[in-house]
Amino acid sequence: MKHSERITINALALLLGMFVFGSTVLAQGNPTLSDAEVASAAVTANQIDIDFAAIAEEKSKNAQVLKFAQTMANDHQAVIEQAVALVEKLGVTPKDNAVSQQLKADAEKTKQQLRSKSGKDFDKTYIDNEVAYHESVIAAVKNLLIPESENAELRDLLKAVVPALEAHLEHAKMIQHEMSGK
Amino acid sequence: MRRPILMTKRGGVLCCALMFLTGFSFSGAGPVAKTHRVEIRQMKFNPSHLSVKPGDTVVFINLDMVTHDVTEATGQSWKSPPLPAKSSWKKVARTSATYYCSFHPVMKGAITVK
Repeated sequence: MKHSERITINALALLLGMFVFGSTVLAQGNPTLSDAEVASAAVTANQIDIDFAAIAEEKSKNAQVLKFAQTMANDHQAVIEQAVALVEKLGVTPKDNAVSQQLKADAEKTKQQLRSKSGKDFDKTYIDNEVAYHESVIAAVKNLLIPESENAELRDLLKAVVPALEAHLEHAKMIQHEMSGK
Repeated sequence: MRRPILMTKRGGVLCCALMFLTGFSFSGAGPVAKTHRVEIRQMKFNPSHLSVKPGDTVVFINLDMVTHDVTEATGQSWKSPPLPAKSSWKKVARTSATYYCSFHPVMKGAITVK
């Protein structure tokens, strides 16, 4: 059983590498996370994108960006609901940990950046961040959260989320490409 | 008393011949329409390309955890309502069409009617 509550230095290096704007470089080595910590990190990562979408819904006037943000809010909320239903079934309480905390700290910086922009500048910053964020989260889910999940149902849920994250990434890239052509 | 012609043996044969010549059949008109299943799972329409006969029904079933829809490519012809997880929607195929999910435009499919 992997129930260590400690996160290794490698994990912090990994996360700092992953969640810096645009960086998808993964450090070597994996942290040790319990299922409660994996669940917390998964819910936090989804909630962060809902928060980014809320800022977009408040600040953007671009119909394509607004529709994308609405889809992000709905899809990530659906994933959270599935995760919460599963942890309740398993009797696991998501546990805050260094991964979740690092995610939140990085998200706060991104939110500040987003709030400081307006108009087309905001739209570009939001979509660029969605591309980078989804690339980072896909790498984190595949290379960290799935391997660290002890419970098969939790692992299956995380695997089921990957295609949605990949579709979001492709959608964000599509909008990014169209914006660069205008 | 003379019986009406349709109730005689000769009348029956005449009636059958007339039905045969006009294309009428006791089993209804043409082959029975089929129902085809398109599963939406892992952010894909499966099968993504489907060949059907005119009048066949296509049922779309959402097996993902997120909401999808089925929107004709031009956005002008037809569109399903939002399909939450585990819901389905059906359409009778009359003409060929390409379609996508308006929430996730990278998801695409096609129906060929022939």
